[in-house]
Parts: sequence; structure tokens; C-alpha cells
Amino acid sequence: MRNEIRKRRAETDESQADLAAAVDVSRQTINAIERERYDPSLELAFELAAHFDCRIEDLFDPDR
Amino acid sequence: MSEHSTPATTRPSARKRYKRIAYALLGAGIAALFVAIALDRFVLGVALYWAGGIGMGLVQRFSPATLYDERDAAIERRASQTTLNVFAYAFVLGTPGGLVLAETGHVDLPGEFYGATWTLFAVFVVFGAAVLYYGRRT
Repeated sequence: MRNEIRKRRAETDESQADLAAAVDVSRQTINAIERERYDPSLELAFELAAHFDCRIEDLFDPDR
Repeated sequence: MSEHSTPATTRPSARKRYKRIAYALLGAGIAALFVAIALDRFVLGVALYWAGGIGMGLVQRFSPATLYDERDAAIERRASQTTLNVFAYAFVLGTPGGLVLAETGHVDLPGEFYGATWTLFAVFVVFGAAVLYYGRRT
């Protein structure tokens, strides 16, 4: 699924490891999401949205 | 300075550290088993092997870090499905094929063939029971 995680992370100047620690997953999981090789669960999507203080649909776009 | 005030990129990953400890305990248990067998101390070897396995389980259970996340679970699900598919083909095609070859006198099946067949049968019985169980709970 297309997503804005990498862009948002660049805006907040966070590494993949920083973001992974913040939402309690592995760095590899963040990398896989950014490369669109893994779609996160709804729970993790909510956590990511809360972390970036935005809505899930601002981060993920299933139609693109 | 608390752990969380340090950027994650500059501190060792607790997840990796505890995973390594868990696998090291299991590895030590397995190594101890082989060494003990070589020294003809089988009971001691099994005890050390169990201790390693239990130690691994305890680390996984009580680690302050989450050792496996949802992607790990997704990978395991896909790997399990692939494994079951491989053995399903082996069971569905291999068992009757082997029996036919034995009946027609082309091969003389060893006892291991029947052992493997019953083992595969048991695996799929357990799988079916698990599907029924989780189907009712989900």
C-alpha cells in the first residue's frame, strides 16, 4: 500500500530505528512498510498516525 | 539519562539483545546435548537441552522488549502455510503413489515410509482441529 511514512519521517528528522522504537516494532518492519512490501495492521496504522499526529488516510492510500 | 531519552539509532537494540540471549540459550542447550551424548551422559545432556529451551522461553516471556512484532507473525503465518502446502502435496501425492509402487512390486517400502505417513496424517489432524478451534473463537 502506498504511504507517506518515509516523507513524514524525513519531516520529523527521525531514523527508521527511532520510529520503530516509538511504535514498538522492529526497524525492519518500518523499512518494509516504507518499501510497500508489508501492510501494517490497523492497530499499527493507528499508532503511526498518532505518532505523526495525523489521520490514517493522511499516511496510507490504498487507491494509489 | 533514561533509555528513552537516547535516540534509538545510538543505543543497542534491546529487541536484538534479548533475541540473541534467547537463541544463545537454546544453542547452548543443543550444543550441551551433543557434547553430553559424545561423553555418554545422555540424561545430563537432555536436562541441559531442556534447560536451554526453558531459558529461551523465559527470556521470550519476560523480556522487557517486544521480541517479535506483527511482521514477524505475518512472516511465520506465510512460512507455516507454505510448509503445510509442501507436506500436503507430499502426503496427498506421495502416500498413494508409494503404496501403488509397492503393490505393483516396483519398490519395497521401508518402515520409515509408513512412519512418515502416519506423522503427516497426525500433523493434518492437528491442523484441522486447530482450524475448527480458532474458527469457533474468531
